[in-house]
Amino acid sequence: MSDNVDAVNTALRIRLADVEATMQALLSGEIDAVIDPRDSSPVLLALAQKALRESEERYRTIVETANEGIWLLELDGTITFVNEKLATMLVHGVPEVVGRSLYDFLPDSFHGLAAARLARAPLGLAEESDSALRHQSGREIAVLVRTSPIGDASGGCAGVLAMITDTTRRSVAERKLRESEAEYRQIVESTTDGIIKLDKYGTIVFVNARFSEMLGYAGSELVGSHVLSVVPPAEHASVRDALRRREAGASTATDTFYTHRNGTDISVNIAGSVLRDETGQFSGVLGLVRDMTERNKLQAELIVSDRMASVGTLAAGVAHEINNPLAATIANLEFLSEGVATLERDRTAVRQGDWLRLRFTEPLADAREAAERVRRIVKDLMIFSRSPVDEQQWSVDVNGVLESSLRMAWNEIRHRAELVKDLADVPVVRADDARLGQVFLNLIVNAAQAIPVGHVAQHEIRVSSRRDGDAVVVEISDTGCGIGADDLERIFDAFYTTKPVGEGTGLGLAICRRIVTDMGGTLTVRSTPGVGSTFIVTLQVATHPEAAPRAAAPAAGAAYRGRVLVVDDEDIVARGVERALDEGGHIQRAPSADAALALVLGGERYDVILCDLMMPNMTGMELHDRLVEIAPGQARRMMFMTGGAFTAEARQFITSMDLVLLEKPFGTSELRTAVQQFSASLAEGTQ
Amino acid sequence: MPTRGSTGPALKLRLYVAGNGPNSVLARHNLATLCTTAFSDVCDLEVVDLLEFPHRAIADDVVVTPTLLRVSPLPALRVIGNLSDAGKVLAMLRAT
Repeated sequence: MSDNVDAVNTALRIRLADVEATMQALLSGEIDAVIDPRDSSPVLLALAQKALRESEERYRTIVETANEGIWLLELDGTITFVNEKLATMLVHGVPEVVGRSLYDFLPDSFHGLAAARLARAPLGLAEESDSALRHQSGREIAVLVRTSPIGDASGGCAGVLAMITDTTRRSVAERKLRESEAEYRQIVESTTDGIIKLDKYGTIVFVNARFSEMLGYAGSELVGSHVLSVVPPAEHASVRDALRRREAGASTATDTFYTHRNGTDISVNIAGSVLRDETGQFSGVLGLVRDMTERNKLQAELIVSDRMASVGTLAAGVAHEINNPLAATIANLEFLSEGVATLERDRTAVRQGDWLRLRFTEPLADAREAAERVRRIVKDLMIFSRSPVDEQQWSVDVNGVLESSLRMAWNEIRHRAELVKDLADVPVVRADDARLGQVFLNLIVNAAQAIPVGHVAQHEIRVSSRRDGDAVVVEISDTGCGIGADDLERIFDAFYTTKPVGEGTGLGLAICRRIVTDMGGTLTVRSTPGVGSTFIVTLQVATHPEAAPRAAAPAAGAAYRGRVLVVDDEDIVARGVERALDEGGHIQRAPSADAALALVLGGERYDVILCDLMMPNMTGMELHDRLVEIAPGQARRMMFMTGGAFTAEARQFITSMDLVLLEKPFGTSELRTAVQQFSASLAEGTQ
Repeated sequence: MPTRGSTGPALKLRLYVAGNGPNSVLARHNLATLCTTAFSDVCDLEVVDLLEFPHRAIADDVVVTPTLLRVSPLPALRVIGNLSDAGKVLAMLRAT
């Protein structure tokens, strides 16, 4: 019996322990399912619990991490819930807020408004309005309040859910946005590039101040018009095409023209980029517009200044080159004067042995040869001193220009390397000799400067020319230090230089390339560091050879026997010409164009009028024009001399009239031949 | 009355679970770990899904899952919950 009682007790203890364990397991969430023994239907518990827990957590997370303050109010204004955010806004802990009245946290002036709103809540309307909260410190915080009524189980109104946004912060953010906008606007307005924004139809929707200024308009006058209204008609097709390409997604730079308000065309470069809306659809074009007229002008100035710099660096060398023959000329002339003096004292001196040859013939020949050298050097210099306004593309003999450049640079070469010339018989090319000379000189001087001074026998500068199809290829090679691969890519960039500061402008090669490109040619380079570099200039063979102003060809000539008027303001030249021609003719001198005009007006008539081109007061060209009016027969008989100071006008004058030009300096025989040939051509013309 | 012997499993267990409920999965996993480490060769385990066989649960007087029953040796004992407390499980298994 006691066994039975014990067994029952044990069983009951176990049952109790099991019930207790079940309760504990339930409380700690370790139970998945409960089964009701009456209908044997299991109820999944854990899943339901979990879902509830998760959904509650989700809401809690949303409420607590919300950027807005949230509180729940009963209709009498009692706060039943507040989130961290709102509590922080008021600088109270959550427990200090819950249970208190809404009115404790509102400035007095908003009490009425809040009460009215709570009273309206049972109507079921959500509302939004600006309001304020009172901070613990007493300070008011501007807020935006959104309220929505909360229903109770019986369908009535249990209270209000209020969401509160701190608008003081928003005002700060808005101010910052405005500031950053102002900053961007300032950048956009102060940039030196014009900025234009087009919508997808090509209508201008924005221009900056620089753009308006570039085109001569005020402010935003252009906004609303189509971009083609500021594009010259000739460019319409290409602008339309560029817009279409942008629509297809291409962001490229284009060179085109805009029309200034005053009707002139402005050369511009436009770097356009495609604008897209949020869905990625093409919505318009943003263009950075650069006025190229300024830049083109600047580039032209740079080319001139570079040429001046080239001449400057060579001036010392050239002076040296001139001084030597000049010294020889002067010494020989003095020696000749002494000889003449001796002869005046004692005419028998002539009869002594080699006296005449030693005293006259040889020094004369030497003086003449030295003077010839000066003439050649000055002629070379002329190539570089011509102003860019008269740059024109002639048919140019490449080898001749190369020879001139080599003579100019000789002083740089001779202490460094042997010069090897390998010039083939090449056709004339389309080029401007002055600018081509600048390129060659630059390349030759560069080649020389790549080689250290003092090891002439070990180094070589090779200059070659050859024909390659429709092109003439000139190569200038050196055995200098060479150019590294990194530098090689950049040596044609403006202002890129490897020379020490002050020694190179960094413009030389950039300008060379531009000059060659402008002539329709190319300038490239090959180089191996430590071995040397080769610059290759390719120029187009001239298709329609057009000669530079025709110069009288020198040839041996006899004395001229016609009547000649020499018009030159330089007395020394005029006297020289008179002596050369006086032998059999009748020579008259006029020191100015006015004097010459007076002679002709006075009835004098000449077979040839030899006239200087450039003279003060009245130029040779003006004299020609006057003679055309008053004595056309005499105008025909004018031939011109020039010291080389060509202006564009002068060149134009000579070529358009097909006049004969005699370049100073010239020798006696050259002069006689020229005058005779001219006279003969006049005779042919009259027959 | 069955006695403990060296042949055949002396320990017979029945685990009631509710499908793949999270505690049921955990209980299965915890028990499997215990059986392979402590009672690998002497354990005879049956797993019964409450959702499939509710009447067996009622017959065994099981109202919540997971529940682990010691069917033999007697007395019949049970551990309720996901069996994450290994000490409690071992105490039940070894109880006389």
